[in-house]
Amino acid sequence: MKIADCGSTYSKILDLDSGVLEIVATKELVRRKSERYEVATGHCARGRCAVYRNELIALAEGGLALVAEGDFSLVDVGGRDIKFVRLKGRKVDKLDWNLSCGSTTGATLELLGNYYDIDFSTLSPSDRWVNVTCGVFGMERVLEQISLGTSPEESVAMFLHGFVRNVIDFIGRPAHFHLSGGFCENPCFVRTAERYCRVTPLGRTVLLEGLKKGLE
Amino acid sequence: MKKYPADTVIGYFGFPRRKVLREARERYGAELPLVDLDVDMGAPDSGILPATTCRIVANVVDNAMSLGNALAAVIAAVGEDKCDRGRHAAFLLRTLGFPVVESRFPEEEFENRPLVFSRARLPLREKIDRIMATVVDPSTPDPAPAACEPTHGFWGVPPHDFRILDLFPETTHVYGWTRCVEAGRPSDVELECRVDAGIPTVFFTQSFCAKQDLAHFLAERNQGLAVDCHREINDSILAKVEAFVRLSR
Repeated sequence: MKIADCGSTYSKILDLDSGVLEIVATKELVRRKSERYEVATGHCARGRCAVYRNELIALAEGGLALVAEGDFSLVDVGGRDIKFVRLKGRKVDKLDWNLSCGSTTGATLELLGNYYDIDFSTLSPSDRWVNVTCGVFGMERVLEQISLGTSPEESVAMFLHGFVRNVIDFIGRPAHFHLSGGFCENPCFVRTAERYCRVTPLGRTVLLEGLKKGLE
Repeated sequence: MKKYPADTVIGYFGFPRRKVLREARERYGAELPLVDLDVDMGAPDSGILPATTCRIVANVVDNAMSLGNALAAVIAAVGEDKCDRGRHAAFLLRTLGFPVVESRFPEEEFENRPLVFSRARLPLREKIDRIMATVVDPSTPDPAPAACEPTHGFWGVPPHDFRILDLFPETTHVYGWTRCVEAGRPSDVELECRVDAGIPTVFFTQSFCAKQDLAHFLAERNQGLAVDCHREINDSILAKVEAFVRLSR
């Protein structure tokens, strides 16, 4: 039995029988026209599964499966959007989902990184930031910084810093949050976020844990 | 009185004063149907307004342009009960040759009508439709629908795309400007901002509407969910509201 979290830029596919986790770029997944899953979530999962689960619900249930605390904040930072749940006494107290305008910043960061050959595992966080109103406006700021003589590395780190500030504002500036999604593997993102609060990365499979919980 | 072709209508938008509505009908034709220009009627984009215009105001202009000569007059709410963009739309339409009758709903004419539909156990879509119909016909329904305790709340104006309303249970109470319409108090900001404490409420606005300021503030204060949408609702917005409705039970 396969379950999947098919995000806008990356898809996480878990074979429950073998335990094998496959992470593929969604651009590759869309070419696998016949691939189907028993249960799935994510922007690109509709039409590929027998049962479709709401992403925010999968995130909340995944958080409950992985976090033992009664009260906690959990944010999933994706390529296209930011999903947030806050639990109090292990009940949902607040949730939100940053959609279209103001999002796609995650995907834009990856595009910038690829274009300027940035290695995020070694990129140093920047003290400075640019306003990342949305991916497009943020990219314009990066190009401007570079035209002013700032290095591409520093400019992209400034974009990342602005993005982190957006995330932290979006989730209500908590003292501590749990992070879900691909940015758990981006040390520059995590270290930048730690300038503002404590961060616990949970990895890329939180939504899959939520789907598993739904199967119980 | 002037004779109009068979398909002629009188358009209105917002909540015009009852007196202005009545007098305009007497002047332009009491037998002519009234059409709410705020509502999506599938009119083509007139291209008159920028893309970043609230969809409701864009509907007003697009509908008017699409109706053209079939529109005997436009009765336009242009006061605090509507918004600057509504006032600008009235100006544009007048400049483009439409007969426009302006209305500013004064506090002295505030009513205190019972909140029959806002608190009723009915599908949310029907509730909002029937509230908006009270702009033209404020008579009390007989029998009145049964009231219920709220399990959820919907705050805001009637959306451009009503599909979002189908996600809510029948026990959803209506708040915000739509409730103000039912009460007969369209610019009563105090009433507009009043919600029941502890009821999980979606604070809905069209994108690029000034009411986003209130929605954001009230959602933060009430652990609610602020949702804005430009043009049609997409799957992500539906999923966000669906999750809120389900998880906040």
